[in-house]
Amino acid sequence: MFLFQGAQNELNYIAVYGNLSTFEKENGLKTLMQKILYGVISGVMFIIIPFIALIALIARLFKIDIYAFDPMKQRKPIATYVVSRWMGNSGKAQHNRTFSLFLMPSLSAFSLFVMFTFFHGIFLSMTNWDGLNTGKEIFVGLSNYMSMFRDYGFVYSLYKTIIYSVLNIFAINIVAFFLAILVTQNLKLKNLYRAGFFLPNLIGGLVLGYIWQFIFNRAITSLGGSFATSLLVNGDSALLGLIIVITWQYAGYIMMIYIAALQNVPQDLVEASKIDGANAYQRLRTVILPLVAQAFTVSMFLTLVTSFKQYDTVISLTNGGPGTLLPQWITSWFGLAARPAVGSNNLIALNIYQEAFARYQLGVGQAKAIVFFVFLLAVSLLQVYYNKRKEVEL
Amino acid sequence: MKLKKLVLLVIMLLAVSSLAACTPKKEAKTLIIFQNKVEINDVLTTYATAWGAANDVTVTVKTCGGDACAYGTQILAEFQAEKQPDIFVIEGMGGYNIYKDKMMEFSGDAWISNTDLEFKVGGKVFGFPVAVEGWGMAYNKKILDAAGVDIEALKDVSQAEYKEAFIKIQAYYDANSMSDYAVVSMAAASGMYWVTGLHNFNGYLSAGLDYADNSVIANLNNGIVDEARLAQLAEWFDLLKMYGDQAILTTGTYDDQVGKFADGKAAFLHQGNWTDSSYADSDFEMGYLPHATMTEGNDSIFIGAPSYYVINKGSKMTDVAKAFLNDLAASAAGHDYMVNKAHMVPAFNSVTLIPSTPLSASVMKWNQAGKAYAWWQNDMPSGFGMDTLGPIYELFAKGTTTKAEFIAQIKTAIEGLK
Repeated sequence: MFLFQGAQNELNYIAVYGNLSTFEKENGLKTLMQKILYGVISGVMFIIIPFIALIALIARLFKIDIYAFDPMKQRKPIATYVVSRWMGNSGKAQHNRTFSLFLMPSLSAFSLFVMFTFFHGIFLSMTNWDGLNTGKEIFVGLSNYMSMFRDYGFVYSLYKTIIYSVLNIFAINIVAFFLAILVTQNLKLKNLYRAGFFLPNLIGGLVLGYIWQFIFNRAITSLGGSFATSLLVNGDSALLGLIIVITWQYAGYIMMIYIAALQNVPQDLVEASKIDGANAYQRLRTVILPLVAQAFTVSMFLTLVTSFKQYDTVISLTNGGPGTLLPQWITSWFGLAARPAVGSNNLIALNIYQEAFARYQLGVGQAKAIVFFVFLLAVSLLQVYYNKRKEVEL
Repeated sequence: MKLKKLVLLVIMLLAVSSLAACTPKKEAKTLIIFQNKVEINDVLTTYATAWGAANDVTVTVKTCGGDACAYGTQILAEFQAEKQPDIFVIEGMGGYNIYKDKMMEFSGDAWISNTDLEFKVGGKVFGFPVAVEGWGMAYNKKILDAAGVDIEALKDVSQAEYKEAFIKIQAYYDANSMSDYAVVSMAAASGMYWVTGLHNFNGYLSAGLDYADNSVIANLNNGIVDEARLAQLAEWFDLLKMYGDQAILTTGTYDDQVGKFADGKAAFLHQGNWTDSSYADSDFEMGYLPHATMTEGNDSIFIGAPSYYVINKGSKMTDVAKAFLNDLAASAAGHDYMVNKAHMVPAFNSVTLIPSTPLSASVMKWNQAGKAYAWWQNDMPSGFGMDTLGPIYELFAKGTTTKAEFIAQIKTAIEGLK
C-alpha cells in the first residue's frame, strides 16, 4: 500500500511537470530510500508477522504441527542445526519457538514505535518536508545539516545551552547535596523538611515559570533599590533567573537520591574515622564522598539530560527572551555587518521547535534534533564514563 | 479441548472483524471547521449547529488557539490525520505559501462582491475574511480632555504633534501627582513580540501608502530596505518608548499592558480592538487615533482581516462549505452571529448592525470613512516578525541599543531575506 502510494505520487508529479527525467534527478534517491524504508519495515510489520501468526494459529486450530518432520532425513550440517534447534519436537526447539513467539508483541511494538520512528526521522531530516507535503517531500541530502551551521541562531542556542547546562548541573548538585546532608542530620522535623524541599518538583514546569515570572518581575522589583530592575530584563541575568528556578524545582528530587546514598554509607566506617580523629570536613571528603560517588553518577546524568532538554520553563518564564546582542565572536565568525538581536534564553530545544513550527522547516528542525541527539549522547556517555571511574566498590 | 478451540475461534473472528473495520465505510455528511479563535468557539458552534440542522449537515467546530494550543502546529497534525478539516484558517500570505496546495479557489460566490477584504493571490480569490480588526493609538478621552489635548486635531497627525500631546499629558500627571499613570501603555518584552515585531513594524510596511500598495513589503521580501521609512519608524518607536511605562515596556504581559489602560491609568494604548473584552468595567470614553509612523500626514489606522476561512481542496464537502460561508455573509442569522454574538466587525458592506463595544465601533467608523492603512505584517516570511524583529525592538526599548544600532540591525535582518 505504501509502495502504491509512492507510485501514485510519482504519476502525479509527472502529470504536473510532464518530465520524467527531472523527477528522476530530484527524486531518484528519495524513492529508493523510501522504498527500502517503507518496504522493509511495513513488510515486516504488516505482512510477515501477521502471516506467521496466522499460519501458527490455523495449525493450532486444526492440530497440525507444521514444523514437525523427521530430522534424521536431513543430512546437511546447517540444516541439521536449524532443525534440531528450531523445528521438531525436541524440548530445545519447542522452547525456542515459544520464546520467539512471546517476543513478537514487544518486538513489533518496539520496532513500530522506536526503530521505525527513529529511522523515519533520519530520513525526514534529509528532505524538504514542511509538514504538509507529506509523500511529496524531496530528498535533499545533507543540505539541512549544512544549513544549520550557517544559522547563527542555532550556533548561539547551542553555545547558550552548554553554558546553561554546566552552570545548572553544578548549581543543582551542590544545592541538592547540601540539602541531603542537612536532612540526614538529627533534626526534629527532618521528614517535613524533606517533603518541603521535594514539593516544588511536583509543580509542572509551565506553571512554575509563570509563578516565578511574577516573582521576578513584580514581587522582587517592588522592593526597589538595587532590586528595582527585574532579573529577567537583561540577557545574562535572565539565564541566572532560569537557573534559580530550575534549581529550586529540581534540587529536591536530586536530594532524594543523595539521601538514599548517604543512608547507605556504613556507619562503622564513619565511626572508625571518628575514632581516628578525623574532623567533619575530613570525614566528608575522604569517607562519605567516595562512598556516594555512585549517586553522583546518577544525579549528574539526570541533571545533564534535563538541562540540555529544558523547554517548558524556558517558554513560560521568558518565552526564549529577553532579547540580547549576539556575542561578538559569533558575529565575526559569521561575518555579519551588525550584531543581530537574539533571544538570550533561546535554548536548543526551543530553537528546534521554532525552526519546525514557526518557520515550517520541519526537515531542518529534524536535522537539528538529530545533531542535538548525537551531541547529547556523546556528552552523557563521556560523563558517565568519567564518573564511573571515581566510584568505589566496597 | 473444546473450550480451547472455541477461544481460538473467537480470537480469529476478532482478528477478521478488526481487519474488516479498516475498510472505508459510507459516512454521514459532516462538515469540519477548524478555527483559531477560542473566544468565539461557543457562539460559532451554536450558529453552526443551527445552520447544520436547517441544511441537513452535521457541522463540527474544532478550535485551537490562544496560549493553550498552537494553531499552526496543530493543523499539521490535522492534515496528517484521516479526517481533514473542510474549512480551516490562514493568516495572509505566510499561510498561503504554506497551505497553497490545499486551498480551493472561490469563484462566483455571492459574498465576494460584498467585501473589499477577500484574500486574493494573482486575481484569484482564496480566502473568506473572518472579521475586520484594526489597531491604532487607543485613547482615553477623560485623560486627554483633562490634559487639554484636542482629539480632533490628532486625526491627521505628525510625530511632532504627538510629542507635544505626550508632553502635555506628562505635565498634567506631574501637576496632579499621578505618578503611577502612564502616557503610553506599550509592551516589548519577549511574550509581546507580536505587538512590536508585527503591529508596530507594519507601520513601516503600509503607513502613508495606498491600501493596495504592496511595494514596501515586496521589496522587504526581496531584501531591499527603504531607509527613509525605516528612520521614520525608529523615530516613532523612540517616542513611544520614551513616554511608555517602563515596567510594562520591559517586562509587561498582555494583561499588564491592557490592564493599565482599562484601569484608566494610561492615556494611550498600542493595541487593537480585540482588547474590547477587557473594558467591561472601564468608565471612560475611548476611540482610535492614527499611529504617527511617518514624520507627518498620518490620517488612517491599520485595518485588515487577520484571518481567512479557506476551503480544503481535498474535501468532499466543498459545496456544503461554500454554502456555509455564503450564508454566513448574507443571512440575517449570520450577521447577528458575527456582530452581536461573536462581537466581531464584519467585513461585509451589507451588514448594518453596529458593534456594542467601543473600540470595535471605532474601527468600523474609521473603516467606513475609508481611512485605512493595510496589513502587510503577515506577508513577511514565517517567524521573521516575531523571532527576528521582536528581539531587536526589545533591545532598543530597554536602551541596550541606540537608535542607529536599531536601524542597522533591522537593515541587516531585511537584507538577510535576499
